[in-house]
Amino acid sequence: MLVQNILNGISLGSVYALIAVGFALIFNVLKFSNFSQGGVMTVTAYAGYVASRYLSDRLDSLVLFAAVLAAAAVSGAVIAAAVERLAFRRLRRTKSEPVYYFISSITMGILLENLITIYASSNFYSYPRFFATSAVPLFGVNVAVTDMMMFALSIAALLALLFILHRTKIGLGIRAACFDVNTVQLMGMNPDFLVTTALMISGALGGVSGVFLGMNYTLYPQLGQMVVKGFVASVLGGLGSIHGAVIGAVLLGILEIFFISWVGAGWAPVFVFIVMLAFLLVRPRGIAGIIVQEKA
Amino acid sequence: MLRIEDLWVSYGHVQALLGVSLEVERGSIVSIIGSNGAGKSTLLNTISGLVKQERGRIFLTDGIGPDTAKLLPREPYRVVKLGVVQVPEGRQVFPGLTVRENLMAGAYTVNHAGRVRRNLDRMFEMYPILKERARQQAGTLSGGEQQMLAICRGLMAEPKVLLLDEPSLGLAPIIVKGVFDTVRRIRDEGITVVLVEQNANQALAIADYAYVLENGRVALEGEGRALLCDPAVKDAYLGGAQEA
Repeated sequence: MLVQNILNGISLGSVYALIAVGFALIFNVLKFSNFSQGGVMTVTAYAGYVASRYLSDRLDSLVLFAAVLAAAAVSGAVIAAAVERLAFRRLRRTKSEPVYYFISSITMGILLENLITIYASSNFYSYPRFFATSAVPLFGVNVAVTDMMMFALSIAALLALLFILHRTKIGLGIRAACFDVNTVQLMGMNPDFLVTTALMISGALGGVSGVFLGMNYTLYPQLGQMVVKGFVASVLGGLGSIHGAVIGAVLLGILEIFFISWVGAGWAPVFVFIVMLAFLLVRPRGIAGIIVQEKA
Repeated sequence: MLRIEDLWVSYGHVQALLGVSLEVERGSIVSIIGSNGAGKSTLLNTISGLVKQERGRIFLTDGIGPDTAKLLPREPYRVVKLGVVQVPEGRQVFPGLTVRENLMAGAYTVNHAGRVRRNLDRMFEMYPILKERARQQAGTLSGGEQQMLAICRGLMAEPKVLLLDEPSLGLAPIIVKGVFDTVRRIRDEGITVVLVEQNANQALAIADYAYVLENGRVALEGEGRALLCDPAVKDAYLGGAQEA
């Protein structure tokens, strides 16, 4: 039971990690928590669902799964870019306070969610089953194939993110913009391009996590409110730290699974938030706080 | 190399520049001195496109003849691509990136890996301390080292014109001397330098030509040496009758 819980927690945590690193990335560049990510996740989960309906006759399970994820990631990137253009660009031109970004992003999140409600109704949908076998034995317990897929692909996406940030020119530009989005202009970088790229990366990660969450639970317009998990994870890990976000997300996943098995699914969120509050009281910098403090 | 015609800039109701015109010759050091709030930084930031002018034009004249003058674009990143690069006041290195990453950030516009590597080697040769600290975070460097890094980061963009905003600010005298030696060396390599300074003495001493800004206007101009001996400049900027 213990091993089972830990494995489930890690795979759930790895999905939260996708949301959390998107948060961390945008927090670093624009200095606010981007809640529009929730709306983006809702839309991408539906985009993935639509893709799965259209392609399920034509493609095999694994190829279909890959195609669905790709559709979600691409639509996430496109929508995030549109959000930047609509909700953030003007604020950046006028050098607005972070609180305006915050309000603007929440607004966009709600807007996207409700657009989906209007077009797709508030009914529940479920993804088709992608894999023939549903569970395989591992370490003496049964692990769901979906969980393993979620874990493996989340790790792959996180590694891809680290590669982009640390090994490419655009990544260097984004990391430089984290320190000073105005000074990078003097290096010949276009801040609009860098900010849009960062949002597209975070949107693509959100898209992948949207499909995973839709598969894990069911598909409904408020799915995007799971973005709060990403937020909690990045608070636990230390706002703005990519590594911290991953650690916080895995911690959150494990905590959640354990709380569910101890106090039930109804009370589990209460305890999760108590842990978050305790963190804010005792260690507001989060787990990776040292890194963040240095940047301030 | 640069020609500025009748530049007017304001921040809301505060007029920062009132019709500044000046000319920067290729391969020279042009110093701009003046007291706090005279508009020196505003002038550099307007050239870089960080601040938009209300009126006036800025030309890049890197070709021969009058027809080759190009109007500088107004987006800062496009100004850099044309070879006009600013090293900002207060250095503004990226504190959490390594020294090497800071330099690579400077080379963002250079799309040729071999040239970037050559430039990087040149910087490391010029300042071995940067090579020693290449993997250290830039925030851990001393003020003088950060200034060197900021200048090198500017040079990594292969500028035609380097705009230096107060490079000696807050540095110990011995290090200030090193900074001015570097400025001279950069000019000798063929890069045109526009130097904004509070340290009027040194700035005039190394300048080929200089302008004195007062309340957003050009109050005086002339060769660096000539201004150094000008009684009005001496009184206002060089500490009265003291010898330079």
